[in-house]
Amino acid sequence: MTDTLLLLAMNGLIWGLIIALIALGLSIIFGLLDVINIAHGDFFMVGTVVAWFTLEFTGNFWLGFIVAPLIGFILGALIQRVVIQPIQGVAALSIVATFGLSLILQESVRITFGPTPRRILPPISGTIPLFGIEYEIYRIFAAALSLAALAGFFLFLQHTKVGTWMRAVRHDRDTAIAMGIPAQRIYILTFGIGFALAAFGGAVAAPITTVDFRGGVDILPFCFMAVIIGGLGNLPGTAAAAVLLAFLEGIIQSVADPTIARIASLVLMSALLLVRPQGLFKGYVK
Amino acid sequence: MTARTVIERALFVVFAAFLLSVPWLVPAFVSDFWVNLIAEILIWSLFAASVNLLFGYVGLLSFGQALYFGFGMYGVGIGIDQLGLSFWPAFGLGIVSAMAMALVSGVLAVRLTWHYFAIITIVFSLIFYFLAVTMKSLTGGDDGINFTMPPTFSIDGNVWSFTNQTFQYFFILATVTLCFYLMYRVTRSPLGKAFLAIRDNDVRASLIGLNVYLLRLVAFVMAGFLAGVAGALFAFFGRYASASYMFYQVSGEAVVWAIVGGAGTLFGPIIGTSLFIVIREVVSTRWEHHALIVGVMAILVVILAPKGLVGLWRDALSRLDTRDPSATVTKTLRTEP
Repeated sequence: MTDTLLLLAMNGLIWGLIIALIALGLSIIFGLLDVINIAHGDFFMVGTVVAWFTLEFTGNFWLGFIVAPLIGFILGALIQRVVIQPIQGVAALSIVATFGLSLILQESVRITFGPTPRRILPPISGTIPLFGIEYEIYRIFAAALSLAALAGFFLFLQHTKVGTWMRAVRHDRDTAIAMGIPAQRIYILTFGIGFALAAFGGAVAAPITTVDFRGGVDILPFCFMAVIIGGLGNLPGTAAAAVLLAFLEGIIQSVADPTIARIASLVLMSALLLVRPQGLFKGYVK
Repeated sequence: MTARTVIERALFVVFAAFLLSVPWLVPAFVSDFWVNLIAEILIWSLFAASVNLLFGYVGLLSFGQALYFGFGMYGVGIGIDQLGLSFWPAFGLGIVSAMAMALVSGVLAVRLTWHYFAIITIVFSLIFYFLAVTMKSLTGGDDGINFTMPPTFSIDGNVWSFTNQTFQYFFILATVTLCFYLMYRVTRSPLGKAFLAIRDNDVRASLIGLNVYLLRLVAFVMAGFLAGVAGALFAFFGRYASASYMFYQVSGEAVVWAIVGGAGTLFGPIIGTSLFIVIREVVSTRWEHHALIVGVMAILVVILAPKGLVGLWRDALSRLDTRDPSATVTKTLRTEP
C-alpha cells in the first residue's frame, strides 16, 4: 500500500515538473501577448512526435532534446508572425485562431506520423532502489532534466537582457516600447520560447507517455488550471501549482481509479478558484 | 429605409423560404442525406447561439456549454431508456435538467469573470464529463445509450414521430426557430439592453443600479436552456446520448462557430455553424484530412474578418449605404464586441 502510494506520488511529482514546463510556456504567451492558446497542448504533442521522428531517423534519442525545442522555437516564431500578429492581442480572436492552429497541428501529425499511438522505450532502462521501492531511472532523469530546464528558463528571464525585456513588455508594454525595446521581436521570441518549452516537455515525456496526435488534448485543461491556480502572470506560482496538482492527483490515484482522481482534483480546483480566484500564491514576489 | 435593411429583409425571406422548402427542394437537387444534415446544422446553430448569448451579449466567455448540451441529451436518453418516459416528458426532463444544472453551476460561476469564468466553466464541464464516463451503468460512458424513439404526437391512431424524416425536420426547424425568436425578443427587451450594458462595462452597469450578478445568472440559465434544448433535440435526432458530447472540445467548437459567424449578432452563430459543418461534410467525403481546411478557415476568418462574417457583411453594406445619398445617418446600437 505505502509502496503504491510512494510510486504514484513520485510519478505525479515528475509528471508535475513536466507539466510545469508546458504551463510556463502557456503563461508567458498569455501574459505577454494576451493570447489564450488553445493549441498549447498540441505544442507538447509536437514535441513528443519530433522526439519519435528523431529516434526513428537518427537512432539517437538524446538528439530529440535539442531538435524538439529547436523545431518548436522555429514553428512558434513563424506562427506568431503569420497567425498571432495580425489579430493584435484580441483574446476572443486568439481563441479561434489557436483552435484552428490546433486542428492544423493535429491533422498534420496525423498525416505524417499516422493515427495510431506509439510508444518510445526509455533510453535508460532499469530501476534503482529509492525509499524502499524500485524506481525507473529514466523518470528520475526526466525530473532532473525538467528541473534544469525550469531553472534555466528563470535564469534567462532574470539575468539576461532579452529576459529583462520580456519582463518589461509584460509589465508595461507602452513604456517598454517608449524605452526602445523592440516589442514586436519580443513577441515573436516569446511565442517561440513558449512553443519550445512545451516541445521540450514533450520530448522529455515521450518515453513516459504515448506518442499520439491527440496527446495534447488532455494536457491542455491541466496546464490552464496550473496557470490560473498559480496566479495569472505569476510564473513561479504556475510551476509550483503544476507540481502540486499532479502530485495530489498521484496521491489520490493510490486510493481511487484515475478518473475519480481526476474528478477529485477538478473539484478541489473549482473550490480553489472560487475561494481564491487570484491564485494560491498571491503576494509572492515575482 | 436603408439599402442594408432592404437587402437583409430580402435575404431573410429567401432564407426562411429555403428552410421551409428543404424537405422537397433538397432531395430533388442533392440527396435525402442533406435534409438530415440541415436539421443537424439547425441544432448545432442553437448550441452556438447559447455561447453567443453569453459571450456576444453579456461578455462572458463560456467554454463549458457542452455540459448543458450533455444534460439535455442525457435527460432525454435516460428519460426514455431507463425511466420509460414518452416524448414530451423526456424532452421536458432534458431541458429542465440542463437549466437546473446551469442554475447550480451558474450561482458559483458568474461570481467570476473573463479568464476565471472561462476556466471554471471548463472545469465544471470536465467534472461532469469524467463522471459521465465513470458512471457507465447510468450513462453508458463514451459508448452512450441508444434508445428507441417514442412517437411525438399520437392522436386518434395517427402517429407522428421522428422516424418520418420530414416530420423530424419540421419539428427541429420549429423548435429552433422558436428558440431564436425568444432570443430575438430577449435581446430587444430591457433585459437585453441590461445585458449589453454589462458586456460593455460592468462597473457602470452596477452604478446605474443593475444587479450585475443576478443578470449574469439569468443569462447563464437562459444559455443553459438553449444548450439544453439543442442537446435534447440532438438526442432525439441521433436516438442516443453519449458522454463524448460533454467534452470541452465540443464547447470549443461552438465558441469558434459563434465568433466566426459574428458574436453579438442573431444570425452569426447560424452562419458560422453552417459554414463549418457544410465544409466538413463536403470535404470529408473526398479528403480524409478535412480538419486541415477547417483550421485554415478559422484562422483566415479571424484575420480577414475580425468582427465575424456577419460583421464583414454589415461593413460592406454600410459602405453601400454611405454611397446612397438618400440614406440617413443613423446611430445604431453596436452589437459586436
